[in-house]
Amino acid sequence: KEFRLGLITPPPHTWTKAAEAFGAELSEKSGGAHSVSVFPARQLGNEAQMLQQLQTGALDMAFMTVAEVSNRVPNMGAFYAPYLAKDINHASAILRSDTARGMLAVLPQEAGVVGVGYGSAGMRQILSRGAVNSAADLSGLKLRITPFDPILDFYNALGAAPTPMPLPAVYDALANGQVDAIDMDVELINVLKYHEHADTLLISNHMMFPMVGLISARVYAGLSDADKAMISELMAKHVDSTLDVYMAKEPEWTDALTKVGKTFKRVDQDFFGDAIAQWETIWADKAPSLPELRKTAADLQ
Amino acid sequence: MLYRASHLWARVELVCAAALAASVTGLILLNVVTRAAGNAIYWVDEAAIYAMVWMTFLAASAAIHFRSAIAVTLVNEMLDGHGARMLERVVDLVLFIFACLMVWICLRWFMPLELMRAGWDVKAFQGQTFNFIYAEPTNTLGLPKVWVWLVMPLFTLGALLHSAANLFYPGRHPEAETAQ
Amino acid sequence: MTPILFLVLLFASVPIALVLALTALWYIYDSGNLVLYDSFAQQMFAGVENYGLLAIPLFILTGELMNEGGMTQRLVRAARVFVGGFRGGLAYINLLANMFMAAIIGSAASQIAVMSRAMVPAMKEEGYDPGFAAATTAAGGLLAPVIPPSMLFVIYGVLAQLPIGDLFIAGIIPGLIMAGSFFIVVALIGLSQQFPKGDWMTMPQALRALRDALPAFLIPLAIVGGILFGIATPTESAAVASLIAFGVGWLVYREIHIRDLGAMFARTATNSSLVIFMIAAANVFGWVVIYEELPQKLAAFLSTVTSDPFTFLLIVNLCLLFVGMLIDGIAALILITPILLPIAMNSYGISPYQFGVVISLNLVLGLLTPPVGVGLYIASAMSGVRPFTIFTALWPFLLAVAVVLVMLSYFPILSTALI
Ligand code: NA
Ligand code: NA
Repeated sequence: KEFRLGLITPPPHTWTKAAEAFGAELSEKSGGAHSVSVFPARQLGNEAQMLQQLQTGALDMAFMTVAEVSNRVPNMGAFYAPYLAKDINHASAILRSDTARGMLAVLPQEAGVVGVGYGSAGMRQILSRGAVNSAADLSGLKLRITPFDPILDFYNALGAAPTPMPLPAVYDALANGQVDAIDMDVELINVLKYHEHADTLLISNHMMFPMVGLISARVYAGLSDADKAMISELMAKHVDSTLDVYMAKEPEWTDALTKVGKTFKRVDQDFFGDAIAQWETIWADKAPSLPELRKTAADLQ
Repeated sequence: MLYRASHLWARVELVCAAALAASVTGLILLNVVTRAAGNAIYWVDEAAIYAMVWMTFLAASAAIHFRSAIAVTLVNEMLDGHGARMLERVVDLVLFIFACLMVWICLRWFMPLELMRAGWDVKAFQGQTFNFIYAEPTNTLGLPKVWVWLVMPLFTLGALLHSAANLFYPGRHPEAETAQ
Repeated sequence: MTPILFLVLLFASVPIALVLALTALWYIYDSGNLVLYDSFAQQMFAGVENYGLLAIPLFILTGELMNEGGMTQRLVRAARVFVGGFRGGLAYINLLANMFMAAIIGSAASQIAVMSRAMVPAMKEEGYDPGFAAATTAAGGLLAPVIPPSMLFVIYGVLAQLPIGDLFIAGIIPGLIMAGSFFIVVALIGLSQQFPKGDWMTMPQALRALRDALPAFLIPLAIVGGILFGIATPTESAAVASLIAFGVGWLVYREIHIRDLGAMFARTATNSSLVIFMIAAANVFGWVVIYEELPQKLAAFLSTVTSDPFTFLLIVNLCLLFVGMLIDGIAALILITPILLPIAMNSYGISPYQFGVVISLNLVLGLLTPPVGVGLYIASAMSGVRPFTIFTALWPFLLAVAVVLVMLSYFPILSTALI
């Protein structure tokens, strides 16, 4: 069978490359019986649309941010607990744990998709136009976020004015002051040169930004047991490979940002004060897996 | 009777579309004001987008009644009166077929019968059909997305009414008072 | 079978949006992937669910308010002060006003709608050939998506992951070259046929015309200022512009009455729906086409033909010209970019800015090429001139754009110099 796999990242992006490597290996391992056509750069629609296509079976597979899935399965919001992971290596270990994998079990019933395993994008950082010396300086700032609940609650707890904004609008908005700060990862700050219009880069690592490999539950149900095993295993392997890429590259990207001549600060969870506790209160109810995930994270440190 | 219903409904669609156009403008301006005041409202963008979508599909349905949608009229203009009238009947028929297909598509999408059989229990319905549209959330409005999607069946029913009226009462060209 | 159905429906004068939707429905049946029917209506809805598209009703509303409030007429009158007495003055005014409007408006379709209603009657009144009047206005509308702000560049920036600000800047030189080429075309046409000659205004008339137009200049100021000082996004600045147009038309010129607002919003809804509904249908059409990997197959073939970037761009231009006949602007851009951009960058080392400017301009051209040319039909609907008549007067302008396209393809510097 020829499978269709959709994602939002452009062709040169790590996720897209992993998707193509998955396709190549699947076609080799199955002796040409299966193949994968990759549809990058949201050719088949944004993540919400792709998830809906997975549900109807129009799309077979996708690599997708956990943020999108957490809009339907709030328990997945647990991954966005501030300082669940201290850095990208810790985040990778958490995403590879049985606890994390166990959280995928309900996806077929609750979202109509089978989750095979996790990958990642980088950790979240804060880039600001003005000086930020304490968390109090973030209060009242117009701060660009990707629109999903866990991150909204985090910045609300800090007293910032979180402003949802699609990625393409961010550069201009930062350049001309429509937003005072942005929530971003070091890869995109480098690639899209957001630092050109900012003064302060807070390497805060306050949140991880996981990805998940998905197969349509409808399509999955129609596969033979042998195919189910082979496909899930291979997809999990290639999704997982993105973790290695980010572990290797994130220090390079961070290092490059120390050389752009802007105020560069490393901060940890103490910097954010009681905002983290506030977040925890809100999400304790919404995400039942949160305590167990925290415990796993502590064990893995 | 059918034609008057179609005409009346088209007027209603236009009035709603105009109100939605006004709310698009209002919401975007609200965004400017609140952000300038350091108090950005999270859901305004999404609300504005859905207002635009509703405006589009309601006005698109009305455009079938007023026969004002954009079309390639090259051949039509070359034909004589009789030929042009025949061609117009063919177009009316094609539009009616399209509306019928959309009814079928909306039934496949919303599955109202299956939902009723599942006793309006969305979880049970999802388990049986793998259809998750009743569980789909909107990003920021806190409203199930299915309420927003309802414009598609509304558009479909409008298109069915208008195309049927055009089919059974050929040759009428209501003044599209707002199209120019 | 599918292309035949497409053409038959199209030439039978079925509304273009429904031609696209029906062809997509047939293609799904033909390819046997019936599961796509389950996502069809949802995909149609999703095609409109886009922040960038909000600019369309806002631009159209601004145009409505500028027309109803007497602002456009006063702007045109002010332009007459400078060239009104020259032979063909009004044709040049048309282009100047279009350049000016292009700095306010980001979509060719909206600009053609606004300017056709303002300029074509004025030119007809002064004795210009209606076809030429509509053609000049339609061509001038092509400046909208090249001179910033530009909806096409916004969408290309999203697809190519480029900073939109830089893309806007990349459009400035090509926009000026294009405007220059249009002035040359008008001048050449003026040599072969006698344009009507207007009258110079008397000094008091000229002063009054300039004074009257002064409030109208608030709009571009508000847009540029709003964006520069971070008060509004480009979309939001369109809303601010409409608010100013309303304020000036209502309180200063006193030509807008509150009771007319309902009709104006109804026209805004109707006219933007004409465009946006087509985008919805084009989206579902493009989705089906991409799903079947048709463009990928075409692209694979392209890359076997040549290794020279310029030749590649020429081939791309020719293909897009053909694509542009059937699918317009945004829909085609969404269809093409993800497939051709990687080839352009990776196989030919072409700058993504140059590529973006070239394909955007090319696909904008598609707005004016039959059989599917939304811009052409909008110009016709707004001016009352038949599409065929407009097209016969339009080809010199299209030729000029083609020449500009070849230049932009050959000299990357024209797109990248200012970035
Ligand atoms: Na423009
Ligand atoms: Na065209």
